[in-house]
Amino acid sequence: MHVIQDYYSEYQSFTSGGLDWAVENFSDNPKLKDEIAEFLRSCDLELDGNITDFVTVRAANKLVACAGMGENIIKCVAVSPSLRGQNITLRLISEVTNLAADMGRYHLFLYTKPENQALFSRCGFYPLVEMPGTIALMENSPVGLARYCDSLAATREPGNKIGSIVMNANPFTFGHQYLAQQASDACDWLHVFVVGENSSLITYEDRFALVRDGLKNMPRTTVHPGSIYMISKATFPSYFLKDRGIVDQCHTALDLIIFREHVAPALGITHRFVGTEPFCEVTKKYNADMKFWLMQASSTAPAIEVVELERIAHSGTAISASKVRRYLRADDFEHMADLVPQATLDLLRVKYFDPGARVATGTG
Amino acid sequence: MKLRRSMLFMPGSNSAMLSTAFVFKPDSIMFDLEDAVALREKDAARILVFHALQHPLYKDIETVVRINPLDTPFGLDDLEAAVRGGAHIVRLPKTDSADDVRRLEAEIARIEHACGREVGSTQLMAAVESASGVVNAVSIATSSPRMMGIALAGFDYVMDMQTERGDGTELFYARCAVLHAARVAKIDAFDVVFSDVNDDDGFLKEVDLIRRLGFNGKSLINPRQIELLHNAYAPTEEDVEYARRVVAAADKAEREGLGVIALNGKMIDAPIVNHARRVIQSALASGVRK
Amino acid sequence: MKIIKEAVAGTLESSDLLVKVAPGLPDRLDIHIRSEVMRQFGAHIRAVIDDTLGKLGVTEGDITVEDKGALDCAIRARLQTALLRSVGDVKIDWEKLQ
Repeated sequence: MHVIQDYYSEYQSFTSGGLDWAVENFSDNPKLKDEIAEFLRSCDLELDGNITDFVTVRAANKLVACAGMGENIIKCVAVSPSLRGQNITLRLISEVTNLAADMGRYHLFLYTKPENQALFSRCGFYPLVEMPGTIALMENSPVGLARYCDSLAATREPGNKIGSIVMNANPFTFGHQYLAQQASDACDWLHVFVVGENSSLITYEDRFALVRDGLKNMPRTTVHPGSIYMISKATFPSYFLKDRGIVDQCHTALDLIIFREHVAPALGITHRFVGTEPFCEVTKKYNADMKFWLMQASSTAPAIEVVELERIAHSGTAISASKVRRYLRADDFEHMADLVPQATLDLLRVKYFDPGARVATGTG
Repeated sequence: MKLRRSMLFMPGSNSAMLSTAFVFKPDSIMFDLEDAVALREKDAARILVFHALQHPLYKDIETVVRINPLDTPFGLDDLEAAVRGGAHIVRLPKTDSADDVRRLEAEIARIEHACGREVGSTQLMAAVESASGVVNAVSIATSSPRMMGIALAGFDYVMDMQTERGDGTELFYARCAVLHAARVAKIDAFDVVFSDVNDDDGFLKEVDLIRRLGFNGKSLINPRQIELLHNAYAPTEEDVEYARRVVAAADKAEREGLGVIALNGKMIDAPIVNHARRVIQSALASGVRK
Repeated sequence: MKIIKEAVAGTLESSDLLVKVAPGLPDRLDIHIRSEVMRQFGAHIRAVIDDTLGKLGVTEGDITVEDKGALDCAIRARLQTALLRSVGDVKIDWEKLQ
């Protein structure tokens, strides 16, 4: 933990009014997690699992305010009722902004209850989307999302039926190619978005390159680079915790509301295509939520038709990227070749195979 | 003869304080770029102070800037901001020897030249914060024509002396040494910060001690301390009455071309007259002691 | 002066301002100001910002300001600090900061 130095010790009580400001994280102090969780509960908030650092305010060593930060997301901002009216929130956000800047993060997002947006609007944040009555997402730029949508609108194509797919493609398989093909055939134009985070086995640059290569012969299709507004750690953090089986209702809603209210209108998107999900619980839930938020929930933006397509199969099993990754770990490029285009196979063989992971499968 | 009873410390990184401090009326304001400013804010504080120095609201008040020591990555840039910004005085922290002063002087002259400020116009205040500084106080105080004051800084000094702040016993020798050095060099002497802002009695006790010792003034960290200090330094009614008579006698002697000033049959010489003028100046500044 | 990386300076406390600068869209200088005294002083704040940017030769970038009633000298100071931070290690030309 380090103390936020406002004055050297001789001044401190004068300026801080008896409050001690510090930056603390869980790694130096295991008891801190319980302490913060309890404090947050007393303010009617839950401790979020993704937070690594907290700005804390203590009076006589007792926690009276805090603000958490994980990646470039601020959340779990709480101020004890005894401190209300002292503009503590302003300073909390100033300190968190400085902390983020020290870590090289400048574009920040903030989660809060919808009724608190006015408060954070005074702290340099601007509203993005809201899941009514539950949670709101804000960012510290007045033009972030708007600019992204403007850049998308520049690639808008005419047509009545404009389709979309959002894919992680980790890595790109025949399954992805098939899905895109089906979607493209059914629409006047197809927009494919590749998830931009570098949180998967295959790097974003490689995934994007493989998607572009895999769809290069498909007419009336645009492949869009990843964006912080389309399934990122900012808008949908729990997506990246898939392997741990964590599902977060709020995050899927916000991600989908952004899509419906901002991304889709910029491109005139009317349909969104997904493959049926036989294996991954998180994706299954996400698909279900997608139908709700894009088609059923009330909104100022038009509904978007969600089309779930049966995955293409090989030898009776649906082709999935997770299967490909299993073959990769087993160094089984022979079986893998049935599931992925040549470019994917070549890249994995050259860049991603791990000789130490060779597992005997009886296939040579 | 500039009164310097109160020198109010302001952290250079705090825009709110810099924007409002001029409403307090200390004899001098010290913008701090050193201990009151966190490492990550050193650059920001420097620029904030550079601008504040030139603000019309600070035009009529004596400004001091405490720079970081020259052997830190910040010192030289701080000095540029202070000199170019027009600070009246630069306070050098942790002054251990006359060499420290001479180094500072050379840099200041260079900057004055570069920015067109009258060379020699930036004055110096040496802050002594260690045993070395205290022991070298006389050579420090007499090391430069720019030197207008020498200050004792208690926090670092007591650490160097391997003790802690207490009832003042720990500063006994240092205070006297700094005072004597100031008097030899004919410059001002400043006492340490009193950090317990809730203890008015303790503060006044300390002020009474240093005033009687002869300190010209004291560093303050709380605007509330200004009034208390000025009042403690204010002369009593009797002091003022007597001073008036002394000055009247001196003026009369001058008018009549007499070489000797007499009051009540006693001879009054120059130091007494000077003291009387200071008393009157003090009374004019903040009235009589309540 | 060319803004090379993102930077931030200042605070949200009263009489201060939080300034963020970033390389923006090419050939564009976008300035966004939000202030509690926008109506009375918005134009003036903008003028001070324009003047400060002009003296430093900044013609491209994104400048985002959250003002809390700061004096002109604080506006200049915070903006200049953010700009200097955004260009990394550079020798300060004090004339341009006047």
